Amino acid sequence: MSITITRPPMPAQTLRPTQRLRRAARRRRVFGHIGAGIVSAIILLWTFTPIYNMIMVALEPKGDVFTTTLFPARPSVESFWIVLSQGFWYLEFFWHQFGNSVYIATMVTLLVLLIGSLTSFSIGRMRIRNGWLITNAALLTYVIPASFLAIPFYLIMQHYGLNNNPWSVISALVTFATPYAIFIFQEYGRSIPLELDESARIDGASPVQIYLKVYLPLMAPALVAVGTYAMLLAWNEYLYQFLLLSSKQSMTVPVALAQFTNSDVAPWNYMMATAIIYALPPIATYYMFRRKMTAGLTIGGIKG
Amino acid sequence: MRGITRRSVIHGSVGLVAAGLSCPHVARAASTTATVWWVQGFVEEEDVAFRKLVADYEKASGNTIDYSIVPFAPLRQKVVSAITSGAVPDLVPTTPAEAYVLFAWNDKLIDVGDVIATQKGEYSETALLSAMCYNSVEKRRGYYGVPTVSAAQPHHIWRSLVEKAGYKIEDIPNTFDAYYDFFKDVQKRLRARGERKVYGLGFQVTTNGNDPNNLFNHFLIAYGGAGIVSKDGILHLDDPQVREAAIKALTYPSIAYKEGFVPPGAINWNDADDNTAFHARQVVMDFDGTISTEVAIIKDRQDYDDVVTMGFPLSNDGKPVPAQVAIGVTMIPKGAKNPDVAKDFMKYFIQPEVNNERLKTGLGRSIPAMPSIVKGDHWWFDDPHRKAYVELGLLGPTIPEFYVYNPAYAQVRNEHVWATGWTDVMQGGLTPQAAAERAFKRVEEIFAKYPIVES
Amino acid sequence: MSSSATLAEIGRPLVQRRSLWHYWRGGLRGSEFTWAVAFLVPYVVVFLAFVVYPVLYGLWMGSRPGLYVELFSDPIYQMTVANTVIFLVFGVNLKLFLALMLSGFFMRPGCWTKLMLLVYVLPWAIPSLPAFISIHWMLNGDWGLLNNALYEVFGIDGPSWLNSRWLALGSAICSHLWKWTPFWTVILLAGRMSIPQEIYDAAKVDGATGLHSFAHITFPLLGNLYLVLTLLATIFLLGDFNTVFFVTGGGPANTTHLLATLGIRDAYDMGHPELGVAAVMSALPLMIPVVVVLMRKLKNTQVQL
Repeated sequence: MSITITRPPMPAQTLRPTQRLRRAARRRRVFGHIGAGIVSAIILLWTFTPIYNMIMVALEPKGDVFTTTLFPARPSVESFWIVLSQGFWYLEFFWHQFGNSVYIATMVTLLVLLIGSLTSFSIGRMRIRNGWLITNAALLTYVIPASFLAIPFYLIMQHYGLNNNPWSVISALVTFATPYAIFIFQEYGRSIPLELDESARIDGASPVQIYLKVYLPLMAPALVAVGTYAMLLAWNEYLYQFLLLSSKQSMTVPVALAQFTNSDVAPWNYMMATAIIYALPPIATYYMFRRKMTAGLTIGGIKG
Repeated sequence: MRGITRRSVIHGSVGLVAAGLSCPHVARAASTTATVWWVQGFVEEEDVAFRKLVADYEKASGNTIDYSIVPFAPLRQKVVSAITSGAVPDLVPTTPAEAYVLFAWNDKLIDVGDVIATQKGEYSETALLSAMCYNSVEKRRGYYGVPTVSAAQPHHIWRSLVEKAGYKIEDIPNTFDAYYDFFKDVQKRLRARGERKVYGLGFQVTTNGNDPNNLFNHFLIAYGGAGIVSKDGILHLDDPQVREAAIKALTYPSIAYKEGFVPPGAINWNDADDNTAFHARQVVMDFDGTISTEVAIIKDRQDYDDVVTMGFPLSNDGKPVPAQVAIGVTMIPKGAKNPDVAKDFMKYFIQPEVNNERLKTGLGRSIPAMPSIVKGDHWWFDDPHRKAYVELGLLGPTIPEFYVYNPAYAQVRNEHVWATGWTDVMQGGLTPQAAAERAFKRVEEIFAKYPIVES
Repeated sequence: MSSSATLAEIGRPLVQRRSLWHYWRGGLRGSEFTWAVAFLVPYVVVFLAFVVYPVLYGLWMGSRPGLYVELFSDPIYQMTVANTVIFLVFGVNLKLFLALMLSGFFMRPGCWTKLMLLVYVLPWAIPSLPAFISIHWMLNGDWGLLNNALYEVFGIDGPSWLNSRWLALGSAICSHLWKWTPFWTVILLAGRMSIPQEIYDAAKVDGATGLHSFAHITFPLLGNLYLVLTLLATIFLLGDFNTVFFVTGGGPANTTHLLATLGIRDAYDMGHPELGVAAVMSALPLMIPVVVVLMRKLKNTQVQL
């Protein structure tokens, strides 16, 4: 009688650990890609549907909004051309108003970033005693929503002589955006160790140098995020802009857009074309700065 | 870092604010300048007309008008902000139409009786009644607005859609209920011919904007309820005729909606949706104020001629239905720096020839508040749309808005009490009588807040 | 002896005074303290010039008790409060939760992710007024894009999205999420960026999977930021009237009003701005705890890495 010993097939559990890990990792990657694909598809569909509606209306030759089709029967890009060539009376000063928007947005962004980061640096990094008083006071700005502070703002702008002046809008928007900036910088700054500041100080740096060489570079992602917020706030805000700016020359594009709701028979295609054209610069700006978002603790600061 | 010292930062920011604070107000060049905020027109030509009028006035009088043309919605916000804060212009038109009665009630306007006196004979009776409001602080009525335009609500109908259904415009009946029933029939026929989503009646049974209020008032008046608020500002909901008219006015549009002759989305239309639907030819008939619907497409000759502007049919008992006319006035807020120049400007403005010229340049979208103007100028009758509109809003029987007698009705409109009644029937499952009871209760509550005591 | 004793007596008060001074200045010395003050001056100036008067004026406008009586007697007030609460609960939490999840998605390397981020941020960049009006048209039950698409693709007649209170409210919440989630995502993304990659690498060596590292590293570190953002989002949402105003108009029949839109209606349509301010201030009982928690959270504590 011969005894045959047959070796049973090797079950997965007896595979070598590295092979197991690799297989598991591959599975995770595949699931990851599928998951990412699904998420991407949802994001695309969700984001683009209302935008598609806007584009569709912009392409309608008569500006009809209510149709029974998914695409205009006779699409025409005339409306975009009308906007760019200022060919409609609401858009008479489009480029001038565009310039106003750019000016206001730039000033608001710079001031919010500057004032917000200085304040948060002083309170959070230099840790001035009782700095929390300032942050708490800043919160007072939000007790009453901005839309309801319009009337007193209107009044003080009259008193300050800033009637019909873009600086009235700039001041109002800086007032509303800065507390938010301070809070975000404060929160974000918590994850940057104070030792960095200390070591710089020991090296003999003055507060200004710490602020410029240590603090700002490390805060880059937060600066981009808050800067984008301030820019878009100024770019798209219309309540204060139309309350504080009266003449067509000093108006901004959001106010010009609001004109289309003036009448019940406005050419909606022009309005949507204006909105689409107007949305492009902030996207472009964000695109330019997106790389700064990935600056992390790997830049500057820590040495050895 | 050179350049930035801590002192300079402190100095810099304080200096900025100090500069702002010390910046003087724009110095008034002379006391002959008036600040005017004017409302942007619905068509470009209206702005052109206004600018021309101002230029002519400045040449004629030597005064200066410092004006800004502001779109409608921002102007409303600016006016409220200005009057609340006290930083008012010298002259501003009422936006929306009923704003001036509320301001007059709160004693925020300057009496302009002397301006109106210069043209009193020219004004229609409706215009004069509309300009007179009650001031609750001084407890008397006075003229607080200078009427400049009238606005009524004609019917707008697509001739081509009516003809596609196999009818002619002349086939439309001339009694009230039958008139609207006609469009139900048109819809049925159009649907049978494959128009999947067309609707016969463009009733704005929504709680947004002013259209629903005008629609309700129209039905109320046609059914005999014009006495709901009398000239002394007293509410007459206890009058059985008024009650019955109100119940009927709550019934017809909401039942038409339930029967499927009004677009289902109408229950939540915003201010412009009815016009948008009409322009897209999804609705056969729209009941909407002024002829802006037509004037907006005046460049598209084919469509412009295809739209028919029509006045009102007779009531169910064969009597003419008066049109409720909203009179647009211009007000001078209290605290204005140059009311005299403003008044002088208005006296120039309302001269019949000047007013006529302005309105004509504005393509006749608004009609005057003075019958003599149109009677003397055949331009108003040259175009079928204008002709129909003028006959409706100026030459036919007209009554003023209810809110001129008592601002409480303005609040009734703003709260959309009657439109809520429609919704109660359309979605809430209430009978029109029950919905009417709810509405009556709220209207009475609102009126109780505006007691009128004539001294 | 006596001289040294006197020296000690003189010395002690000096030492005490200096440490008191140090205590007050928080350890900042001389020029540094002046710098710290200088850095604060810009905001203090902004605050004094533009916050004190308007906010106090606003509070004064809404302070008359009679206003609240009038407010509560408005037939739609209770429904409005309910809507506001629903909008806040769902709007804020969904928004931030999605932002948190998506910020993780956008951390993935590669050009595709960067492109997706750009697409994702589009709604934030488009001005509110036209965007929400477009959504209003899109959701029209008879002729809007959404129902047209449903009919063409699936052959079904979609509901009238804006005709019933709950559908309309849901539509408003979705519109709000569409527009504002990108904003919060970007902030959380920035927050995630500040977490050093070394921690994740160390965890991976220890065998942590994605879910593990999220639960044990990311979430605790972002926790404070998330809470601060939630509170800020609540405050901002309370003042948001654009969404409901343009998408649903407060309808049908005033059933989807929020306190902000009711306030705007009272302020400008009724010409009664004090009533408008009172409408939003009636949310103060909700706001005060939010603000208090926010104040506590913003005090200086250093995060433990």
